[in-house]
Amino acid sequence: MKKEKKNQIVMTIIIGAVCVVFFAVMFMQFKTIEETDITAIENMREADLRTAISEWKGKYEDTQKQLESNRKSVQEYQQTIDKNGEASELIDKDLAESNMLLGKTDVTGEGVIVTLTNTQECVIEYSHLLELVNELRYAGAEAISINDARVVTTTDITQINSRMQVSGQRVASPYVIKAIGNQTYLSSTLSLKDSGFIDRYKASGMDIKLEKGNNVKILKYNGEMKVKYMKEVEK
Amino acid sequence: MKKKQIAITLGVMCFILTMSIAIQIRTVTSSNSTASQSLINNGLRDEVLRWKERYDNAYQELLESEKQLTQIREKATQNNTTANAKQEQIKENNMLLGTVEVKGGGLEIMLADNNAAATNLIDPSMVLVHYDDLLQVVNALNNAGAEAISINGQRVITTTAITCEGNVIKVNGEKISSPFTIKAIGSQGLLLGAMTMAGGYLDNLESWGVIVNVKTVDDITVEKYNGIINYKYVKNK
Repeated sequence: MKKEKKNQIVMTIIIGAVCVVFFAVMFMQFKTIEETDITAIENMREADLRTAISEWKGKYEDTQKQLESNRKSVQEYQQTIDKNGEASELIDKDLAESNMLLGKTDVTGEGVIVTLTNTQECVIEYSHLLELVNELRYAGAEAISINDARVVTTTDITQINSRMQVSGQRVASPYVIKAIGNQTYLSSTLSLKDSGFIDRYKASGMDIKLEKGNNVKILKYNGEMKVKYMKEVEK
Repeated sequence: MKKKQIAITLGVMCFILTMSIAIQIRTVTSSNSTASQSLINNGLRDEVLRWKERYDNAYQELLESEKQLTQIREKATQNNTTANAKQEQIKENNMLLGTVEVKGGGLEIMLADNNAAATNLIDPSMVLVHYDDLLQVVNALNNAGAEAISINGQRVITTTAITCEGNVIKVNGEKISSPFTIKAIGSQGLLLGAMTMAGGYLDNLESWGVIVNVKTVDDITVEKYNGIINYKYVKNK
């Protein structure tokens, strides 16, 4: 009886000691995990590096593709020269491509249509349009128009009192801004919580509608693009 | 009977203890220690540099091929007046697109954060240059008929976005910072008049405390766009 009791006490002490060790180990483990949180910064850098890699890789691939297409063109021109043939077909194709990039042709493609309408609460200003165009460009828009006035490199958006002009062409509410590009990028960039155009201005009562379109039509630039002051720097 | 119970309890305890130690060791090895982390980062950094170098090389080749293409176009069309006119049109388009370096009479605008004034202000953002200031200046220059514009060497083209991420301004996705040099080619009189107009955008910026400097330059060079204009979604109608 006495011996059994003594045994029990010893066992309890042993079990108690084991428990203490056990908790100590657990505690140490928690501490280690807490410390690994510090490496989050390190991990973030790793993520940044990975983004950088995919960016450069993408740029490299685009460049390589363009390079191949250029070389093919050079070869085609060379062949017509060799055959003493007419290069008019090739030059027509190149000019058409160049005009398209510049905005001199009507184009179609997938994209978004944003409609901004004046309300009593919020009247659309030129700076709103400027910001929206900039945001669409950021989201990778390849062609943009405001009420069928094509937005090109030299396009200005101005406002005198309530008279709004895009590239000198008069526009008025409702403003229909069409953009061709990746539908998902375009709509999600505009719809970003807090920082996207829609969230930023909906709070101040702006009437904004965003639609996706699979076949958005954008008209060509309705003006002349003239070079008067600049000359190419030949190297 | 009791001894057996105690033995089982102890056994279970030992088992849990061993398990937890094992788990701990696992956690420690898998949590990337700084040493192994920087090793990974070094590897990644090398890879970034490798891809950048590949891109740089490909880009140089691309520039070469563009020159070749222009030359061979001239050669292939020299005997045909219509075709030659079209070839000239492509060259002009390239100037407008921003894919070639151009020069001419124009304006140089310098905008800079007023750091000295910023330290004395409760709201220092007043005297700093923001992305929307650059957007407004480009818009105003276009209104005054600018033919080519660049900001800190970044040519402004149809797809150029001017954005800010935190306190970094990006043009064409490239980081730029104060002081900002905006170059524009066009009619010097019109450009200068528009940009120095009382109550104009630059006038307002200056009155808020931003450093503004405008001067005409007779032979200003505007850099070419440093990338590829390649449309993936636009189709000719």
